[in-house]
Amino acid sequence: MAAPGPGEYFSIGSHVSCLTCLGQRLQGEVVAFDYQSKMLTLKCAPSSGKPNLSDVVLINLAYVSEVDVINDRTETPPPLASLNVNKLASRARTEKEDKLSQAYAISAGVSVEGQQLFQTIHKTIKDCKWQEKNIIVMDDVVISPPYQVDNCKGKEGSALSHVRKIVEKHFRDAESQKSMQHSQAQQTQKDSTLSS
Amino acid sequence: MSFLDFQLAYSGVYANMRMVHVLTSVVGTKCELKVRNGVVYEGVFKTYGPECELVLDAAHRKGPEPVVGPRHEDIVESIIFKASDVVVVQFKDIDLNYAKKDNFTDSAVSARLNGEHKEKDLKPWDGGEQHGSDSLESLDADMSNGWDPNDMFRFNEETYGVKSTYDSSLSSYTVPLERDNSEEFLKREARATQLAEEIEASATYKARVALENDLRSEEEKFTAVVRAERESHTPSGRENKYVPPGQRNKEGLSWGAGRQNSPRMVQSNNNVPSTRPGPHDYSLSSAADRVLNGGATWPSPCPSPSRPPSRYQSGSTSLPPRATTPTRPSSRPPSRPTRPPSHPSVHGSSAPVSTMPKRMSTEGPLRMSPKTQRTPRAHRLSSSRGGIPSGVDFIPHSAPVDASIPPPAHSSMSGGTWSSVVSGGEQHSDLSLTHRPRSPKQTTLGSSPAGSCPQVGTTPIDPVAVPVSPTTASLASNQAITPSTEAKESRVQETRQMSPVANKEIVKPVDTSPSIGRPVNKGDTLYLTFPASHEASTGDKIAPPPPAPTMSTATPNTSISPGSSSSPSSPSSSASPASVLCPAPEYKRGPEVTSQGVQTTGPGSKLDGQEDKEEKKDSVQEQVRKSTLNPNAKEFNPRTFCTQPKPATTPTPPRPQGQPSPSVVVPQPPTVYSQTVCFPQMYPLTPVSPGVQVPHMTVSQTKPYRAVPSMPQQRQDQHHSQGTPTMMHPASATGPSIVASSPAYSAQYFTCSPQQFTSQTLVQQMPHYQSQHVFSSVMQGSARMMAPPTHGQPSLVSSSTTQYAEQTHAMYGKCPPALSVSKLLPMSPGPIPQSYSHPSATLHAQHPQPSATPTGQQQQGQHAGSHPAPSPVQHQAAQALHLGTPSQQQMYSALTPTPPSMNPGPNTQSTQASFPSAQQAVYIHTQQVQHGYNPSHMAHVQQAHLQSGVVPSHHTTPSHPPMMLMATQPPGGPQHSLPQSALPPIPVSSTAHFSYMAHPSGITQGTE
Repeated sequence: MAAPGPGEYFSIGSHVSCLTCLGQRLQGEVVAFDYQSKMLTLKCAPSSGKPNLSDVVLINLAYVSEVDVINDRTETPPPLASLNVNKLASRARTEKEDKLSQAYAISAGVSVEGQQLFQTIHKTIKDCKWQEKNIIVMDDVVISPPYQVDNCKGKEGSALSHVRKIVEKHFRDAESQKSMQHSQAQQTQKDSTLSS
Repeated sequence: MSFLDFQLAYSGVYANMRMVHVLTSVVGTKCELKVRNGVVYEGVFKTYGPECELVLDAAHRKGPEPVVGPRHEDIVESIIFKASDVVVVQFKDIDLNYAKKDNFTDSAVSARLNGEHKEKDLKPWDGGEQHGSDSLESLDADMSNGWDPNDMFRFNEETYGVKSTYDSSLSSYTVPLERDNSEEFLKREARATQLAEEIEASATYKARVALENDLRSEEEKFTAVVRAERESHTPSGRENKYVPPGQRNKEGLSWGAGRQNSPRMVQSNNNVPSTRPGPHDYSLSSAADRVLNGGATWPSPCPSPSRPPSRYQSGSTSLPPRATTPTRPSSRPPSRPTRPPSHPSVHGSSAPVSTMPKRMSTEGPLRMSPKTQRTPRAHRLSSSRGGIPSGVDFIPHSAPVDASIPPPAHSSMSGGTWSSVVSGGEQHSDLSLTHRPRSPKQTTLGSSPAGSCPQVGTTPIDPVAVPVSPTTASLASNQAITPSTEAKESRVQETRQMSPVANKEIVKPVDTSPSIGRPVNKGDTLYLTFPASHEASTGDKIAPPPPAPTMSTATPNTSISPGSSSSPSSPSSSASPASVLCPAPEYKRGPEVTSQGVQTTGPGSKLDGQEDKEEKKDSVQEQVRKSTLNPNAKEFNPRTFCTQPKPATTPTPPRPQGQPSPSVVVPQPPTVYSQTVCFPQMYPLTPVSPGVQVPHMTVSQTKPYRAVPSMPQQRQDQHHSQGTPTMMHPASATGPSIVASSPAYSAQYFTCSPQQFTSQTLVQQMPHYQSQHVFSSVMQGSARMMAPPTHGQPSLVSSSTTQYAEQTHAMYGKCPPALSVSKLLPMSPGPIPQSYSHPSATLHAQHPQPSATPTGQQQQGQHAGSHPAPSPVQHQAAQALHLGTPSQQQMYSALTPTPPSMNPGPNTQSTQASFPSAQQAVYIHTQQVQHGYNPSHMAHVQQAHLQSGVVPSHHTTPSHPPMMLMATQPPGGPQHSLPQSALPPIPVSSTAHFSYMAHPSGITQGTE
C-alpha cells in the first residue's frame, strides 16, 4: 500500500495521489520515480494558477501512508528535452543572491511593505538593491522608508517617473489584492457556514 | 576521464534519467522542503546528489509567520538534506520549460540522447529513388526559382494589359558610360583597367573574393549531417529564372564565364571594336554589348542569376573604370548576356562530354565553373579582354580558368590561387568526367563499386582480384603506362608544372599550352572554345594554359584513376573513354581486391611513375618537387574543389591530384587524414564508415557533399557489400572510396607530399577495413580522447600527431618535410612513445634501424604483410607491432635525422630518406593506431580485423615503400611551394581542424 515493492513502478504520466505521514495530501502527474531513494516526483497544478507554470513536488514514499493511482498511462512518455545547465546555474545564483539581499534588508529592519515593494520593483527592474532601508533603483532613484510614491527621489527624468509608476501601481495592486482577499475570506466563511 | 567518470557517477538517482531531468530543470528555484519532524526549510534548490541528497542554498527554517522574510542571520549558506530525512519538497510555480533548449538545431537533436553517451549518427534523409519531377530533389535540381521574368512580363501584359517599363539598361538608376575615342577617354579607360588588374591581382582581393565565393552553403559548412553529393542540377530548364545566390555558385562554368567575360571583357570589347555605340541608346548599346559580350543575346531584361555575381565582381574589378568613365551600365548589360551564353556553353560542353553521363558532365562544368571563375578572373581578364565573341563563352570559362591558374600560383597563394587551382581541379574533374562518366560516381561511392548495381557484379570479381593485389603494383605501373601516354604527358606536364611552379608564371603557361593539345579527348567543343578564346584573347598562351591544366589533371587523374577509381568503378571504366578503358581492364583483373589492391596499386603506380621520373631527374626532381609544391598550393584551393567535388566526381578529385601530379601524391595524404578525422566525427560508429567516411571527408573539408550524390549510393553499396557474403566487398568498396576521396581532397588541399602519404595510408588502410574503421574509431577516440585513456588512445594520439605533422608539412610548405616531422616530434614525443610502448616495446628497438633507409621500411612493411594472422585480431596485433614499431622508430629516426638539424638523429639519412621514413612512420602510425585502437574500442574494429584477416593487407604494405619514396619527393616540393600556399585560409582551416583534433589529444596525452 505504501511504498511500492520491488519491481513496482509508477509509469510516467500516470496520476497519483499520496498522503504523507504529516497529513499532507498531494496529487499530480508522475514525472519521475526513483526506486532506490523512493523519491517520487509529481507535477501538480500550479499554486499560482498560471497555466504555463506548475508545481513540482518531490515526495519521499518512505513517509507516505497512501498511494493511489488515479489513472495509469501506458504510453511511452515523451522524450526529454535537453537542458541549458548554464541557464539553470545562473538562475540558482541569482535566486540565492536575491534572497540574501532580501534577508539583508529584512535584518536591517525594513518594513513588510518595503520588502514587498522591493520585490515588485525587482520583477521589473533587476537593477535594484537595498541601501540600509532605502531602495536604490538603477543607481538613480532612491526610495526611502515609507516607500510611497512621494518618497521616490532622484534626478528628474524617465527613470524617476518610471519608478514612480511602478510604485504607484504596486500599492494600487496591493489595495485591490487586500480587498480581494477580504472578499474571498468572507466568501469562504459563507461557504463554510453553508456547508456546515 | 569524463567517460569513465560518467559511468561511475551514473549511480543512484543519476541513473534515473527522468529524475535527473526533473530535478535539474528545477534547479535554481525556491522550494520548501519538509523534513521528517515537520520542520519546513525554504531555500534555493541548488543541486542533488546520487543518493538524492538535496542541497538548498540560502536556506532558512521557515517559521509559522508567513509574510515576513528571513533575517539575514537566519539564512544558512547551504544545507544538504539526506533523502531519508526529506518527506516532501515543493517547488512552486515552476516553469519546466525554463531551461529547455531549442529542439531544432542539430546539436539539440543530437543532445537528446541524454543518458546515452554515444554519438548519434545523423543520417541524411534519403527519399529513395522515386523522386519525380515534383520531388524535393527536383526542386533542388531546378535551379530556377519561379517564373522567367519574360514570362512574367508577358503574363501581365496578356492578362492585365500591363506593359512593363523595365529597361535593362537601368537608366533610372545609373548613367550610361559615354564612350568616345578621345585620348582622354582612352587614357582613363586604360588607367581604369590597370587599376582593376592591380586590384584583382592583389592577394587580399583574391582572398576576399574567395570568401565571397565560398560556394558552400551554411548547411554545408556546419551541418552535422553528411550529405552525399547531390547530383548537380543543371539549370538547363529555365535559364532565365532567378537563381538564389547560394545556388548560383553551383552553376560553375557559366557563372565564371559570365563574370570573367562580363565586366572587363565587355569593356575591352568596347574599346577595341568600339562596338558600343554610345551611352545614348541604352537599348541599342546594351543589346549590342550583349551580343558582343555573350555573343548570345540576352533579350530577357532580367540579368537573372549570373548577374549579381558578375556585378559584384565587376564592381570590384571595374570600380576604377567606373570612376573614370560611365561605362558601367553598358558593362552590366553585357555581363548579363554573357551569362546566358555561358549556360548554353556549359550545355555544349556537357554535350561534347556527352560520352560521359549527363549528370556528371553537368555537375562537373557547373561546379567547375564557379570555382574557376573565382580565381581566373584577374588573370583571365587580361586574356579574356581580347574580347570573346559570342559562342566563345564557353571557352572563356575554360581558358580563363586555366589561365588564371598559373597566375594565381604566381600571385600569393591566397584565395585567388585557390580558386585557380580549384578551377584547374574542376576542369580536371570535368575532363575526368568526360572520360569516365561513371568513374566519378563510383569513386565517390568509393565503396560504391559494391553498392552500385553494376558494382555488385564487380564485387564478386573482386575476390579474383585478390591475387592481383600483389601484382597491383605492377598493374598499377602498367596502368600508369597504359594511360601512359596520358599519364606520361601528365607527368611531364606535372613535372613541367612543377618546375614552372618553381619558376612560376613563365613555366606554367608553357605547360598549359602543351597540355591543351592533349585535351582533345575531352571534347571538340572545348577545343573550339579554346581556340576561340585564344583568338579572342590577347595571347594563345593564356588560352592554352587552361586546357593544359585540365588535360594534365585529366591525365593524371586517369592514371591515378586506374588505381583508385578503377576498382570502384569497373563499369565506369568501361563507360569512360580511353583513359577509362585502361582502368577497366585493371578493374576486371582485380575487381574487389582491386578496391584494396587497386588503391594500393593506383598510388603505387603513381608513385612508381613519379619515382621513376624523379630518379631519372634528381636535380630536376628537386626542382620539380619544389615546383610541385606550387601545384599543391594551387590545389589548396580546396574550396573550389569542395564545391566541385561534389563528390560526384570524387574520382575527379584524384584527377586534380593528377594535375599537380607531384602535388597529387603529396596532397592526398593530408586529405586522407583530414578525411579520416572527419569521418570519425561524422560517422564514428557506422560500419559503413569506409564509404561513408569518404563522403564525410569530402563534406567536412569541402562542400562536396552536394556534389557527391554518392553518399546514398555508397551506403547502398555498403549494404550490398554487407549483404554479400564476402567480407571483401565492403572493404574494397570502402577502400576505393577512400582513395578516391582522399585524392580529391588531397589534391585540393594539399598538393604536397601529403598526397603520397595519403596514398600510402590509403592503400594500407584500404586493404584493411580495419584501418578505415580504425581511423574512424581513432578519430572518435581522439575526439573523446579525454574520457578513456586506453591504449588505443595513445596510439590515436600519435596518429593524430602524425597527421598533424603532415598537415603542418602541407601548411608550412617552406619548412622542409623533415622539419615538419621534427616539429611533430616535439608535439608527439609524449604521445608517440606511449602509444607505441604498448605493443611494441620490445620490437621497437629492433625496427628502428631499418627505418633509416627506405628499403628498410619496405622490408618492414613486407614483414608485416607476410605475417600470417592466425586470428584476425592477432594478425593485426602482429602487424601493428611490426608496423608500429618500425614506424615509431622510423618516426623517431625521421624526426631526429631531419635535415633541419633538429636532431642529429640516430640515422644519418639523407633528407630524402628521412622524409620517406617520416612519411612511413606517419603512415604506420595510423595503422598502429588503428590496431591498437581496435581492440580497445570499436566493434567495427573487430570487424575490420576479420576483414583484414581475410584479405591480407600485405599487398598493400609492399607497395608502401615505393609510396614512401614518392612521398618524400613531394614533401620537398610542397615545402617550397607551401610557403606561398601557407596563406590560403581555407585549406588551412580544414587542416587546422584536423590538426586541432589531433593536437588536443596529443597534448592531453603528453600532459598526462
